[in-house]
Parts: sequence; C-alpha cells; structure tokens
Amino acid sequence: MSSSTSKLLIPLHVQYIQSLGESKDDLLYHLTAHLRMNAIYWGLTALNIMQHKDALSRTEMIDFVVSCWDDEAGAFGAHPDHDAHLHATLSAIQILIMQDALDRVDVDRVVKFILSLQQPSGVFAGDQWGEVDTRFLYCAVNALSLLGRLHELDVEKTVGYLRQCRNFDGGFGAVAGAESHAAMVFVCTAALAILDRLDEIDQETLGWWLAERQLPNGGLNGRPEKLEDVCYSFWVLSSMSILKKIRWVDADKLIGFILSAQETEHGGIADRPGDQPDVFHTHFGVAGLSLLGYPGLADLDPVYCMPAKIIERMGLRRDWEALPRKTE
Amino acid sequence: MHGVKRVRYSREALEAKKQKEQAKLKEYLSLNDDVLAKRNAGDWSKDAFDLTTRVLHANAEFYTVWNYRRDILINSIFPNSSPSEVHDRIGDELSVTTSLLKQHPKVYGIWNHRRWCLANIPDGPSDTDLDGWRKTIWNKELYVVEKMLDADARNFHAWNYRRYVLANMPMKRPAQAELVYTTRKIEANFSNFSAWHQRSKVLTSLWEGGQLDPHKSKEEEFDLVKNAMYTDPGDQSVWIYHRWLVGAGNAYDILQREIASIQELLDEQPDSKWCMESLVFYKRLLLRHHARQLSEADRLSLTQECLRLLTGLQDIDPNRRQRYEDLAADVKKIN
Repeated sequence: MSSSTSKLLIPLHVQYIQSLGESKDDLLYHLTAHLRMNAIYWGLTALNIMQHKDALSRTEMIDFVVSCWDDEAGAFGAHPDHDAHLHATLSAIQILIMQDALDRVDVDRVVKFILSLQQPSGVFAGDQWGEVDTRFLYCAVNALSLLGRLHELDVEKTVGYLRQCRNFDGGFGAVAGAESHAAMVFVCTAALAILDRLDEIDQETLGWWLAERQLPNGGLNGRPEKLEDVCYSFWVLSSMSILKKIRWVDADKLIGFILSAQETEHGGIADRPGDQPDVFHTHFGVAGLSLLGYPGLADLDPVYCMPAKIIERMGLRRDWEALPRKTE
Repeated sequence: MHGVKRVRYSREALEAKKQKEQAKLKEYLSLNDDVLAKRNAGDWSKDAFDLTTRVLHANAEFYTVWNYRRDILINSIFPNSSPSEVHDRIGDELSVTTSLLKQHPKVYGIWNHRRWCLANIPDGPSDTDLDGWRKTIWNKELYVVEKMLDADARNFHAWNYRRYVLANMPMKRPAQAELVYTTRKIEANFSNFSAWHQRSKVLTSLWEGGQLDPHKSKEEEFDLVKNAMYTDPGDQSVWIYHRWLVGAGNAYDILQREIASIQELLDEQPDSKWCMESLVFYKRLLLRHHARQLSEADRLSLTQECLRLLTGLQDIDPNRRQRYEDLAADVKKIN
C-alpha cells in the first residue's frame, strides 16, 4: 500500500462528489439516472460525515428533489419523469431533512403512499408493481419514523414479517425463506431498532455471524465464503453497532482495507482496491470509517444512516454504540 | 459499481475514448427522451412497446420503462389479443428477460418482470384444461433458474426466484426432488452456503410434513457434514450448517458424540479455528442445558477447556479477539 492511501483523502473525495454532477457528457451518468435521488443522498451524507456539508448547492439540490415529485402517485421518483418509488422517496426525505427543507413535502400524501404499499403478509412493495422485500420494509419504517408518523404503521404485522425472514444463523434474508445477507441483516436490524423490537433478534448468534464476515485482509463480506467489498463495511458495522458488538471485528485492519480502496488521483472509493470508484461505495466506505471512530469525521447514526446530530435533534436516537472517535 | 477494474488512460487515450462514447451517448439520450415523451403522452402503441425493448436492452435497470412496458401490455396489447395470443406474448416477454438475465444476472427489475409474467398467464389452452399453459410455463422456469445457478451458484436473486417458483407452481414438485438438487449443488462445492441454507429449509419442511423420519434423516446429515468437515475444515459453510443440525443442543448424546468427533478432527488439525470455535460453542451448550447430568468435576473441566480454547482462538484468529475475550468473561461468570 502506498503512503498516500494510509489516510482518508477528504478534500479529494469532496471534489469527487462535486464532480459527479458535472459528468453529463459521460454515458454512465445517464445510465444511472434511475438512481439519481439515491446518489444525491449518498453524496450528501458522505459530505456531512466528512464535515463538508455545504460542498453542493443547497438550492439546486432542493429544486432537483422537488422536481422528482410524481403527483399522480403522491411520492418521489428517482429522477424527473421517473415513476414514484419507495426507495427514491426515502432518499428524498433524508435529503430534505439534511437540508432542513422538509416543509417542501406533502407529508400526508407521502404517508398515504407508503402505507398503501404494505402487503397482507406485512412486507412492503417498492411501488404499485408489487416487487417486495425487506429493503422496502425498512424504507417504509425509516421514512414513517422520520416523518413522525410511525404510529400509523401496523407494527405487529410488520414485525411478523421480519420474524419470518429470520434464519437459524441469526441473520435475515430479503424475503421469507431467503438466505441471510449482510445488507438484509442491516435493513431488518435497523427496522427492528426503529420499532424498539430488538428482542426479536438472537443477538448472540447474529453477532457471531456478523463477526465472521471479516476476512484475513481486513475487509468484510456479505455472506459466508464470498469476497470482501467496501459497502459491507456499513451493512455489517451498522448492525454490529445496533447490537453493541462492533468491537468483535478488527477495526484497524478494516480501516486499512477501506482506505486501500480509495482512488488517489481523482477521489472516490471503490468496492475493492484497484476498481473503479463510485458514489455508493464512497458513501458506505466513509460511513464505515465513521462508525470505526476514524479521526476528523462526524458521527453517523447507523440506524437511519444519516448524521447522528440530526437524528438526535429529532429525538429519534436509538440505543447503539460505535467506536469512540480517535484523535489525529 | 461492482468489480469494474480501474484503468489509467493517457490524456490522448481518454480523449479518444470520449469521442467514441459520444456517439453511444447521443443514441442513448435520444432513446431516453423518446421513451419518456411517449410515456408522458400516454402512448400505448406498438411503436412505443418496441421502443421500451430497445431502451431496456441499453439499460435493464430503468424501472420506469419496465413499468411503462407493463402498462402497454395490460392496457393495450392484452385487451386486443385472444388468450392464445396473450399466451404467446407472455412467452416473448419471458424470452426477453432470459436474454437480459444472461447479461445482467443480478438486476432486480428483470427478475421482477419475470414474476409478473408468470402471474399473468391466461387460462387455457381450453375450457377443459384451464391450467395447461400455466403448468407448462411454470415447469420450464425451474430449468431456466437451474441454468442461472449453474452460471453462479451463489446468485441470491436466482435462489429467491427458485423458492418462489417452487412455492407457487401450479403442479407442485415433491420436496424430495429439491433435497436431491441441494445434494448435487453441495457435492459440486462444499463452500456453497446458499445450497446448505436451502437444504435446511427443505429438510425442515420434510420433517414437519412427516415425509422424512427426522431422526434417521439427521443422522444422514451428520454423516454428510462430517465428510465435508474433513474435506476442508476451514470452510465456514459447513460449520454453520452443523450448528443448525445440532440446534438448541437438547439431545445430550448427540452433543457428546459431536464434541468427540470434532475433538478428533482437532487432534489431526491442531490449528483449526472452526474446530476450536465449535467446541467452545457445544461445550457451553452442555454446561447450559445438561448441567444436571454432569458431575461437578465434569463441569469444572468443561469450563477450563472452554477458557483454554478461547485463549488459543485469540492467538490464531486475532480479528475476533474481543469476541473471544467477551465469551471467556461470560464462561467465567456463569460457571
């Protein structure tokens, strides 16, 4: 590893995130339009954690979010003229909260949209077309909580579905019967944390399964006998923070792995060393580093995946534990 | 973006690449604008439908275009087609998604469209055989998903789809057939935890449904696992499955027998982390659930043994040192 990657290159990553909106002559920019709202949430959250929350224009961002409103459905799409979707809607709400502009949302209509997507089994669909999984359940629970409308949710029904997704290894899958996967462990654990129902989790077993995600090179994988990937730094660590077991992985080695996946010329973090960076892995790499107490970063709330200060101010903080912030 | 290697270009090469990309970019942008304009205008024509095919081939993740395509099918194509034509159309849709899945096996939207197709097969071919088309098409799905799992045996989209097909197909397949399938996948590769997971689900349903004798079947599983453990004691898939097989550890004799068997393997492979970790776990189950069957001396020696193993684990598996320290503190506290 070269010396230039032994530190988080904050100014370079800030520049990288700023440059993303300027790559309109890049085909990839347009091929990922269906993720634009999520990408802005990832970029903005990473900037907040790196203490550069003003690096992108607030007005432009809010205008963009509002322009993605799908008035027929009463929720947000990922891009202007794209259909409303639960995932884009959660990202929109998170962005507007970080920008202190939630007054731009018709909360009643969004709540109606979200609640309409709950299925008889308790799981949520992503939109009217009916694709269901625990990711959408988490989006719904998170968004309702951020909007202060969690009391309108049928909690027993929701928890009932999560219980069906729990496996003998302590983890959770995307749907009932599915194999445990670290990203689904995060969405289910965080949803249960928001619903104050962590008693549904076999914490000892899940803590073991999560700790076993760390590979000899320090990186984390998402399932047994799979490769490491920077994004699991967040999926696994957030779940461990919620279970207060984040000390069960080797933090220094994981920090080393995340830093080694940085692109040192133009910024950004990739899934693993030597690969092309993107805003998704940049965000989840920075998020992981924050939970590991990396110096100079702001605290990240692992339940909502937003700046901890904002979640605390809203009175939504759940009981979790990250590693103490180190000094330089 | 996953697994895309970073390439360093010279300024000239980068410029050349950009030039080449410009043509593609222009083409994609015009497709994108056209399809959204037609969608916004509520155009449900054949042209619009064909356009969605082109866009989805360029970008299979464009969920709005999948939605638009289904809108055209439901509102325009299906109502103007005979049941037999709808049946053929569903066949075409399935072919489109098959070819897209070959290129993009992990795109949620393609799998999702496939599910939607299955839910929209019309009754037929005749009044006396209303389920005929459904049976034929659903049966073929198992073949398709097996091809996908041959290409990537850990693709969770494919496994989830497989479970969906098995649970919803009109003519159910005997669950034993699925057990045979997991055996095949596991024997091809012991590391395939997706197959072990599926096996745990299938066996549970066979035991609960009285189709297999749980006692006899568990013994066969213990044999299979033992074989896998000896083949590669470092493969965690097998150890996780073993933990499921032992379960809560209520069967005292099985617990003792498995501890002895793992101890034997540890004697051969003195640095095996999974042997040590599992021994701690099962010895603690003994202490927790069978304390009354153990003498004071047995309990003391089990406790000492756990502490000794946990100290060893801290050395050979330092990544998880803190977990082993916490477990040791717990062992001391309880006993």
